[in-house]
Amino acid sequence: MSGQTHRLRLPLDLAAVQALKVGDLVLLSGDITISIGLPTHQRMVQELAAGRALPVDLHGGAFFHLSAYLRDAKHSGDMPTALYMNPSTSTRYNASMPALIRGLGLRLVGGKGGLDMASVAAMQEAGCAYLSFLGGGCTPLSEAIECVVSSHWNEYISQFRLTTVRVNQLGPATVAIDAHGNSVYQQLLVRAQDRLPDILARLKTQRQTP
Amino acid sequence: MPISSALIQSVTASLYERSLKKIPEDTKVALRQARGTDGSDIARKTLTIMLQSADAAEQKDHLVCSDVGIPVYSVKLGTRVQFDGPVRQAIVDGFKELAQNIDPPILRMVTNPLTHQRSHAGKDMPIVTFDMIDGASYIEIVCAPKAMGSGRWEALETFVYPSLETIEGYVLDVVIKAGSQPCPPIVVGVGIGGTFDYAARMAKQQILRPFGQTNPEPILAAMEQRLLSAINSLGFGPMGTGGDSTAMAVHIDYAASHGFMPVAVALNCWINRRTGARIHDDGTVEWFE
Repeated sequence: MSGQTHRLRLPLDLAAVQALKVGDLVLLSGDITISIGLPTHQRMVQELAAGRALPVDLHGGAFFHLSAYLRDAKHSGDMPTALYMNPSTSTRYNASMPALIRGLGLRLVGGKGGLDMASVAAMQEAGCAYLSFLGGGCTPLSEAIECVVSSHWNEYISQFRLTTVRVNQLGPATVAIDAHGNSVYQQLLVRAQDRLPDILARLKTQRQTP
Repeated sequence: MPISSALIQSVTASLYERSLKKIPEDTKVALRQARGTDGSDIARKTLTIMLQSADAAEQKDHLVCSDVGIPVYSVKLGTRVQFDGPVRQAIVDGFKELAQNIDPPILRMVTNPLTHQRSHAGKDMPIVTFDMIDGASYIEIVCAPKAMGSGRWEALETFVYPSLETIEGYVLDVVIKAGSQPCPPIVVGVGIGGTFDYAARMAKQQILRPFGQTNPEPILAAMEQRLLSAINSLGFGPMGTGGDSTAMAVHIDYAASHGFMPVAVALNCWINRRTGARIHDDGTVEWFE
């Protein structure tokens, strides 16, 4: 892993994403859109399939599995305040992500725990990378919040809404899936499975040693 | 004198808040040790930002993680203790008090499994288990909120006369299936034997065990060391992006069983939420991790 640190500002072009390699770190500024709602993901896919535009344009942008606590404004029409945000496990959105990655023109997706190989293929095809944020990183990640830019589908609970947040130097996040078809999650899973026979043999020897 | 329901309610609320805002001291030590020994550059960097995040949350009285989980309390009642009112209801009220007053406010994570509606309350919430301590004039309450990251991957399988090889292989299978997703480095709790429910309870109790204690059962003490080394050889590393630090500890307990023998595996993520209090019958409260 190269471990290079990239300071990126959204929106991103294809070249900027293709420069990211698995193991690099990213500090991100600009507008990110976030949600951890399963119904939100399903609705996004349905809107795309129906040819309807989402309430926020994500072309060249970032869509992350970050949960945010939004405190609604006292006056309707004013933006809510995001008190904090933090990543959630991305794999539960595996079914939705390939369509969203291909259909929305996303350059970055992310959360924690990664996505499956169908998403990796979609990311390679579309020119998109996955960022791993620190689970349990609520305090430092929240310090990057500048303001809420928009909040849509507000009938959902706070963390399920489709929320766009302006951030300054969000991260560091680790590039865990790059736009070249490399997934650290898949690599590590295969490696663990490959190592297992030797590990089991070592355990057997240790059990037999008084 | 009797322990008051009001004190139990207050302690219950405080325990939850402490568990959300401070990781245990022994866990910080384990993370620092891992940072000093992990051979992966990205793992060391990730461990560094973990420690920074834990310190920042503690200093700023903030949440370590936004997934505050669902409330889970383990209660042990001393048999010499008297109460001036309800105990279970006091714990329910304590969580309600916490959910209404904590700063910053917490997201709704309690989910109805039939409708997927989310709230701060729900049927059988908080989950409370009770045990007894013969002769004690205090009660102990441990709060260990359970969140998605680690909760999703816990597992149980019932074997028939399993060998140690089968048990160890199963633990590794569960850890590999969880892979990069439970926010490693994790704590692995294993319960062997008993019954379906008791094995799960033992596994849960074992993730609450402080680090550094030697298992009194020599067979399990050796198994804990073997499995910890084996899990850390898998390579998932901190946050599952590679490294030698996949687990901080493996803790195992067993109970006599029948020919059928359940093996349960519980997981705690790196922030290792476990906060306890001992309430004495003179009204004093001791806090522990």
